[in-house]
Amino acid sequence: MTRRILHIGVALLAIYVLLFVQLELIQVVRADTLRDHSQNTREITMVFDAPRGSITTADGETIAETVSVSGARPRLRQYPYGSLYSHVVGFISAEHGGSGLEQKHNDFLAGNDLGVRIQDKRDLFVDRARTGQLELSVRHDVQLVARAALGSYQGAAVVIDPSSGAVLAMWSSPHFDPNHLSSHDLAAVTNDLAALNSDEERPLTNRADSYLSEAGAIFTVVTAASAIEAGLTDLVVPQKNTIFTETLTEPIKNKRNVTCGGDLTSLLLTDCRTGWATIGIDLGKSELSNRSKIFGLTESVSIDTGNHLRGLLTPAKVDLSAPHVAAGIGVQLSPLHAAHLFATIANNGIRIRPRVVHQIQGHDGSVIREFAPELLGQPITSDTALRLQTMLAANVERGTAQALALDDVEVGGMLESGFNDHPHAWAIAFAPVTQPELAIAVLLEGDELSDPQVTETVVARITRSIIEAVLRLPSPNLEGTQ
Amino acid sequence: MNHQRIVELTLLLLAAFITCATVALAAVGEQVEITWNVVPYLVALLILWTIAHITLRLRAPTANGVLFPIAALLQGLGFALMVRIDPSLASRQATWSLIGMAGFIAVTIGIRNPQQLSKVRAPLGIAGVLLVFLPLISEGAPSGSEISLALHLGQLHIIPGELGKLFLIIFFASWLANYRTRNTEEYLGQAQHIEGDRSRLIPLLGGWLITSAILIFQYDAGSAIVTFVVFMSMWWVAAGRPLDLAISFGAIAATIVLATGTLPEFQTRLSAWIDPWSNTQLGDAITRSSFALAGGGLTGTGPGAGNADWVPGVTDHFAFVPIGEELGFLGATAVLSGYLLLTGVGLRIATRARREFDSVLAIGVTVFLGVQAWASIATTLRLLPPSAVSLPFISINGFALLTWHLALGLLLRISEIGPEAADQTSVLRKIKLRSRSQS
Repeated sequence: MTRRILHIGVALLAIYVLLFVQLELIQVVRADTLRDHSQNTREITMVFDAPRGSITTADGETIAETVSVSGARPRLRQYPYGSLYSHVVGFISAEHGGSGLEQKHNDFLAGNDLGVRIQDKRDLFVDRARTGQLELSVRHDVQLVARAALGSYQGAAVVIDPSSGAVLAMWSSPHFDPNHLSSHDLAAVTNDLAALNSDEERPLTNRADSYLSEAGAIFTVVTAASAIEAGLTDLVVPQKNTIFTETLTEPIKNKRNVTCGGDLTSLLLTDCRTGWATIGIDLGKSELSNRSKIFGLTESVSIDTGNHLRGLLTPAKVDLSAPHVAAGIGVQLSPLHAAHLFATIANNGIRIRPRVVHQIQGHDGSVIREFAPELLGQPITSDTALRLQTMLAANVERGTAQALALDDVEVGGMLESGFNDHPHAWAIAFAPVTQPELAIAVLLEGDELSDPQVTETVVARITRSIIEAVLRLPSPNLEGTQ
Repeated sequence: MNHQRIVELTLLLLAAFITCATVALAAVGEQVEITWNVVPYLVALLILWTIAHITLRLRAPTANGVLFPIAALLQGLGFALMVRIDPSLASRQATWSLIGMAGFIAVTIGIRNPQQLSKVRAPLGIAGVLLVFLPLISEGAPSGSEISLALHLGQLHIIPGELGKLFLIIFFASWLANYRTRNTEEYLGQAQHIEGDRSRLIPLLGGWLITSAILIFQYDAGSAIVTFVVFMSMWWVAAGRPLDLAISFGAIAATIVLATGTLPEFQTRLSAWIDPWSNTQLGDAITRSSFALAGGGLTGTGPGAGNADWVPGVTDHFAFVPIGEELGFLGATAVLSGYLLLTGVGLRIATRARREFDSVLAIGVTVFLGVQAWASIATTLRLLPPSAVSLPFISINGFALLTWHLALGLLLRISEIGPEAADQTSVLRKIKLRSRSQS
C-alpha cells in the first residue's frame, strides 16, 4: 500500500512539473512574444484608469485630457473637440487598445518613460504618478479652417511648415469621435468600433497618409527636377498631341487632345503629358525612380502619429514605362507625400521629416524632450529648387492653377483632376513664393467630382481658405468659420 | 510543549507577516484604493488563525504542524490579492472564512476518530451525489460562454460541487476500507496486491459514471479530471490492480471521444482551447490570462500594480492569474510549491495513518486538494480546456472555502498520533515487513 501511495506521489509530482514548465514558458521564455502579440491590449488597458498627460496644440488648445469622474472607473479620457483631431490623436479604449498619438506616445503620456517619471531628484525616492504632456505642432485655427473648408466632401488636407517639417494641420474626412471609443460603456464602445470598422467609407482610416491616389501632373514636378538636374534646362520639346510608347500600353494623349510642347516651363503651364513623356524617354526610368527615392516618395518614412508615409512606386507599379512615370500616369501618392514633396521644393531642396509632436513637457510645463527638425537629405540643389519654385509660381500666375491665386501673396502650386477610374482632385501649393511658410496638399474624392472644371474650382477654394488661415490673411472665401 | 505546535506557531507568524506585507504593498500602489476598512477583515482573518491554532493545541496537540500554516498562507495571499481587485469582496470572503473556520473547528472537536464517519457513509454518499448534480437539476446545463455551474438561492450564489465531492470521497474511502478488511491477502503478506472479490468493480463503475455525467452534462473537463483522478488514486491505493486501472482509463477515454463527437458545447470549448485567438467569447479569458502572466514576467509587477481584472473570472477560477502577474514567475512558483508541499505532507500522513479508512481518506482528501489546484492552474496556463475549477484557499468561492477547511480538519485529525485508539494494524504491518524482507 505504501508503495502505491508512492506511485500517486510520483504521478502528482510529474503533473506539477508540467505546470512549472508551462509557467516558465509563458512567463519567461515566450513572455516577450506574448507582450508584443497583436491581440494584446493589456498595456493600453492598464493605463486606461491611470493618470495620463494631456495633449495640446501649438496655440495652447487642449485636445485630449484625462479628468477624474465618480463611478466604477476613477478617470475618463476626453477629447474636447470631438472628431476634429480624430486622425491625429487617435483614441484609447479600455478593451480595444488605442491608435494614433495615444498609442505611439503611450510611454510619455502614461509616464512609463524614465525621463518623464523622474522629473526631479525627489522622484528618485518617491514613486509618484508622473505623466508627460504632448505639445503638438498642429495649429488649432488651421485645423478648424481645414475642417470647415472641406465641409462634407470626402478627402484630406495636410499643411506642413517647409522649414521645420512641422505639420500645421492634418484633416481627413469622414472622421470619428474618439470620445465614443474611450467611454466607460464598454458594450457601446465595442458596437461603435465594429460599426466604424465595417463602414465602407472607412472613417477610421487617415486619408492624409494612408490613401494613395493617382498623382497625374503632380508627379511631373519630379520629372522637371530630374530634367533640370540632368542639365536639360534649354530643352525644347516638339509639339505633339500623342506619344506612342514602346510597350503595349495605350498611347499617351494630352487632355482634351491639345497639341503642346516647348520648354519645361511651358510644359508645366499647359499640363503637357506628351512633353513630359518625351523627357521621360530621354531620362530613362532608373533616373526617375532614383529621383523619387531620394525625394522620399518610394519609402515608408515614419512620422510620429504612428502612421507612415507610404511609398508610391511600389514594386507592382515598377513595370510602368518611363514615359508613363514621367507624365505621372499610374503613379500614386498620398496627400502627406505630396505635401512633403512640395515642402522639400519650397525649402530649397532640403528634406525635413514631417512631424506632429513638437515637444514633451513635464507636470510643471518644463520641456522634457524636444523634437528638433530632422534632416533627411537633399534630393535637388537649391538652384534647381529655386527654378522649380519660379515655374510653379508661373503656373499659378498664368498656367493651369490660376484658381489658386491670392490677392496679397504669391502662390506656387498645381491643380490636377479628371482621372478616369477614381474621380478625385488634387491641389498642391506653397506660399508665399519668396519665403515659403507652408506647403499644402488637398485631396478630394467622390462621385460628385465628375466635372473637372467644378472640381478644380472647389479644391482650389478649399486650398485658398487654408492658406489664408495659415498666413493669417483676411479671408474673403470662408464666411463664419469657428 | 509539543514540537508540532511550535513549528505551527512559527510558520503561522511568518504567514501572517507575508499576508500583512502583501496587503500593505498593494495599498501603497498608488492606483489602488484599498481603504482602511479592509483592515478589520484582515485582523479578523488573523484572529481566526489564532483561534484555530489554540483549538489545535487543546484538542489535537500532536497533529501535523505544517499543514495549517501553508493553507493559511495561501488563504492570506488570496485575500490580499483578491480584495485588491475587488474591495467589495472583503466582507464576503471574511464571512466565508468565519464559516469555514467554524467547520474546521467542528471537525477538529467533533470528530475525535475519523472512523466515526463510516457510520454515516450512506447519507454522505447520497448528499454528495445530490450536491454535485443539484445545480444541474435546478438550473439546467451551462449555456454559451457561461462556464461555472452555480445554484441560485435568492441573492445567494452557491457552487456546492466541491463539498459534494468531499462527501463522495468520505463515502468512497469507507467503502474501500471495508473492501480491504474483507480481502486481506496483501496485509497478510500473501500477495503484492489484492485479488479481491468482484465488488471491487462497483466503485470503478460509480466513479466512471459520475465523471462521465460531469463531462456530458456540465462540459467541465477540469472538474471531471479532478473527480476521476481522485477516485482512481484512492482505488489504486486500496486495490491496486493494473488491469482494472487500464480498463477505467479506456472507459473514460471512450466517454471523452463520445462527448467530443456528439456535444456541440463540448466542441466549442475544445476549439476555444485549441485556437483561442479566433474564438473571442471563450478564448478571451485564455488569451488574456496568457497576456497577463507574460506581463508579470520573472519578478511580477508587484502587489497591487497588476491589471488582472481585465481577465474575466479572475477572482474565482482564474485566481492564479493575479498571482502570476503581480508576484511574477518567482511568486507563482512559490505558490505552486505551496500546493505541492501540502500534497506531499498529505501523502506522508496517509502512509502513517493508523487505520485503513484513515489512510484511504487521507489519500482522497490530499489528491483532491492537489489535483484541484493543479487543474485550476492548468486551465489558466492553457494546459486544460476552459473549465470552472476554483483554486483551493485562494479563490473567492464560499462553499469551496468551507470544503477546504473541512478537508484540512480531517487531514489534521488523521495526522494525529493519538494514544487513545489501539493500533489495530501494527501486527499486520510487522507481518508485511517480514514478507517484504523475504521477497
